[in-house]
Amino acid sequence: MNSEIEIRTPAQLLATESVLERTSRFERDAMQYTNQLYAAAMRYTKDPHDAQDLVQDTYAKAFTAFHQFEPGTNLKAWLYRILTTTFINTYRKDQRRPLISDGEVEDWQLAASASHTSDQGKSAEDEVLENLPDGDVKRALHEIPEEFRLAVFYADVEGYSYKEIADILGIPAGTVMSRLHRGRKLLRILLLDYAKDRGFGGSDGM
Amino acid sequence: MECNEVMHALILFIDNEIEDAIQVQTFQSHFEECPQCLTEMEHERQVLTRMKSLLSDACCEEAPEDLQNRIAQQTALLASQMFSPTQVITEYRRTETTINGETHIEIETTHEIRRDFPLS
Repeated sequence: MNSEIEIRTPAQLLATESVLERTSRFERDAMQYTNQLYAAAMRYTKDPHDAQDLVQDTYAKAFTAFHQFEPGTNLKAWLYRILTTTFINTYRKDQRRPLISDGEVEDWQLAASASHTSDQGKSAEDEVLENLPDGDVKRALHEIPEEFRLAVFYADVEGYSYKEIADILGIPAGTVMSRLHRGRKLLRILLLDYAKDRGFGGSDGM
Repeated sequence: MECNEVMHALILFIDNEIEDAIQVQTFQSHFEECPQCLTEMEHERQVLTRMKSLLSDACCEEAPEDLQNRIAQQTALLASQMFSPTQVITEYRRTETTINGETHIEIETTHEIRRDFPLS
């Protein structure tokens, strides 16, 4: 007499998803990113203990809000976005350090990079950087301002586009570009300095 | 395209952030004609590739096992808190209409799920 046809949209399916189903979906899909989230958290907090707490808090928020995550979109980027807001709300609240705005990196620091692009230095620069130990790279990353460090991390370690980084950090894409550009420059100057200190530079005047 | 324009937007070109294919072509034509800009671009690209590889090698900390366990326990706890306050209210509405001996039956079902979410 009458047949019953039920059509449910993905959103409706999620709304009626049981806690058990959601938990197993979360464990299956989100838990695989703990290492990446921890590495990112280290860039935010610079401290292993704080980084662990930050990742744990991020997973708590992510699980509670998991019904809002749109399946098929980038889950890792969604987790990074929660990591960012968790960091801002929890870990940075009491640190009343002035934020460095994007125009304020001292000009001499950036100007110094000009000296590294002389034709003489060019061919050597890559070789000089090649043998730098991981510890030096981490140290340099931690020395540059947080805003720059995060832009560099998401672009050059995670390989995200400016637009994706803008979404994760909650800033305009133009700001991403400027932070990334300045961050890379500062990092390059520091790394070349460390290399020089280690005597990697040789005789080409770098 | 002038050299200074190319240099100004060089990083966008290297990062593949120029979406307009015609503009990308404009850069490429300039590099074909201008060896200085080409050298500069290749140098920047090479150094950036090196920096990316240094950074990736340095930023690959593994989450301690203890952290994995803490997250697993936390998820289980949060899930158990979600169980208790969940109420599902199901309503059926049956409408029967008979016109000229022809009976039409309509059944409408609604589910209302009430759930308190723990944590802020």
